[in-house]
Amino acid sequence: MAVEKQLLSTRMEENQKKSLSHGFLKSVEAFGNRPALEVDGEVLTYTGLFEKAASLAATLIQDPLAGGPPLIAVFAYRSVTAFAGILGALLRGHGYVPLNCKFPPERTRAMLQRSGCRAVVVDSASERQLDQVLEGIDSGILVVLPERHAADDLAARWPEHRFIGASALASPEQWGPVEVSLDSIADLLFTSGSTGVPKGIMVTHRNVRHYVDFITEQYSITPEDRFSQTFDMTFDLSVADMFVAWERGACVCCPSEKMLINLGRFINDARLTIWFSVPSTAVFMKRLGALKAGAYPGLRVSMFCGEALPVEVAKAWADAAPNSIVDNLYGPTELTIACTQYRWDAARSPSESAYGIVPIGEPFPGMVPLVVDESLNEVRPGEDGELLMTGPQLSLGYWLDPARTEAAFVKPFGRNEVYYRTGDRVRRPVDRGPLLFLGRKDNQIKILGHRVELGEVEAVVREEFGVDGVVALGWPRTVGGAGGVEVFLQAEGPTRPNLKQRVAERLPSYMTPRRYHYLPRFPLNANGKYDREALIKHLETLL
Amino acid sequence: MTPITENDVRRFLLDHFSATIAATGVNPTELVDDFDLLEAGVVDSLGVIEMISAVEQHFKITVDFEPMDPAELTMLGKFSCFVAKNAVSSRLSP
Repeated sequence: MAVEKQLLSTRMEENQKKSLSHGFLKSVEAFGNRPALEVDGEVLTYTGLFEKAASLAATLIQDPLAGGPPLIAVFAYRSVTAFAGILGALLRGHGYVPLNCKFPPERTRAMLQRSGCRAVVVDSASERQLDQVLEGIDSGILVVLPERHAADDLAARWPEHRFIGASALASPEQWGPVEVSLDSIADLLFTSGSTGVPKGIMVTHRNVRHYVDFITEQYSITPEDRFSQTFDMTFDLSVADMFVAWERGACVCCPSEKMLINLGRFINDARLTIWFSVPSTAVFMKRLGALKAGAYPGLRVSMFCGEALPVEVAKAWADAAPNSIVDNLYGPTELTIACTQYRWDAARSPSESAYGIVPIGEPFPGMVPLVVDESLNEVRPGEDGELLMTGPQLSLGYWLDPARTEAAFVKPFGRNEVYYRTGDRVRRPVDRGPLLFLGRKDNQIKILGHRVELGEVEAVVREEFGVDGVVALGWPRTVGGAGGVEVFLQAEGPTRPNLKQRVAERLPSYMTPRRYHYLPRFPLNANGKYDREALIKHLETLL
Repeated sequence: MTPITENDVRRFLLDHFSATIAATGVNPTELVDDFDLLEAGVVDSLGVIEMISAVEQHFKITVDFEPMDPAELTMLGKFSCFVAKNAVSSRLSP
């Protein structure tokens, strides 16, 4: 009995040490008066942010809703509430589900419903869409609105739900630590699904821990560091900025949406030392003349992830940030934030790159790659194949979708571990060379770093237009992916008005088709399938 | 080549973003000069680059945006005016 008890307490200790909020709590103790967060000019100390988060956590604990999964949605955008809400969910002992007011409300509702969350924290910017999101949600949920005093008007409008404004929040002192299993969900992130329904990826505390521990050590993060937060919370790379910074008492600097188009100024005004963005952001800054040599001397680490990094962009960034390491990271959400790393070197890297793209490098310690052919047999060094990966960052799979999980998380013949099939084509290194990213196996593309399943766009267009023959293409093609989506319909023309608008109401802007093209008959390839390459050629002729 | 006008650029943008503008519920004929495409949710911050490429491709021009205040980049009138003034033809001379 005593031994059992001891084992239990050791495990609790381990869990508390490693749960995602632990690093933050440690920093609250050690660096209470230092800045933890800067949002659009407003500064919060570690103590200040902890109090907001603990107050939310205590409120959420006091109000247990029967039956729901241990998940709390955070419907907030680049606000203090977005960060406090995420921490509040974790301090409550639950995982968080980020929602985004830049997505159509219909999609947000679908994500909320699919997650089964019985509680949601909402900021004032997102509150404008609350009525639309709640429309059609049958089971009662708890809505916490820390940015408004009371919520009587909402309560009157939605008697089936419960609303709590700032005046009814619990005090931070009412919060106490909650036991969290390392294998429970830390965050549930939705990504584009090829059948038309976004799929939720279950990322555990253990998964994120591995990433955070590796990165904090690798870059020797200190309380003096100041991190960019360029990603929306619905993008899994945002997890990295927050929890790596808070692990070591550093500050997360979150620009307003308007500032996102003036990031050059933001880097210097916010005195950033650590930069993390998609390569498209750097392309954007280069395009606007913001990557002049020596422009950002304060940066010491720059990381890019989310899509292919063009050689030209890496070069320009290295010149603009002369005191900074430039690292290319790679990894799908299913493998938690990023799991390979390549360090740019002006002398060596150009010859190691292929097709104008910087290599994705080597796996993080503990992560194991396997490059395979169609039958999941490992290819020889120097050959191309699909990248499979396993290790401590392997997520639990797809929320409420065992069939898809089973299809993507596989045990190749003769192996004992489950690997995730990334769908990415890579070249297996010869000797100790870096992994080279070559492209996708399927119809997934990257637009501004966002994963887009063209099948999802096709499914939505097919439904709204009532046309069977639909092909969505990434266009114009860029080194990193595509600039946007264009759609072909096998039809004479639209049958009803407002169809494009209906599609725009269902998809995030980066997935919304820019143009619709009508063809009475699609060209077919040798297999009798729609010839996507021929349709691309058709787009080229339109230029 | 005939120089492009502010109005040409504006007309192109309204057409290019017709679906997303419609989704915001704004009547395209009522758009004022300081209509902010970013604030209205017609483009995201990163979508601005796609907007620039689309304009350049359509008019076969290149534009150096360096002198422009980024805050004005997503304002319908300011953007159209800047493009019209600073467009350089990307077509090869005959």
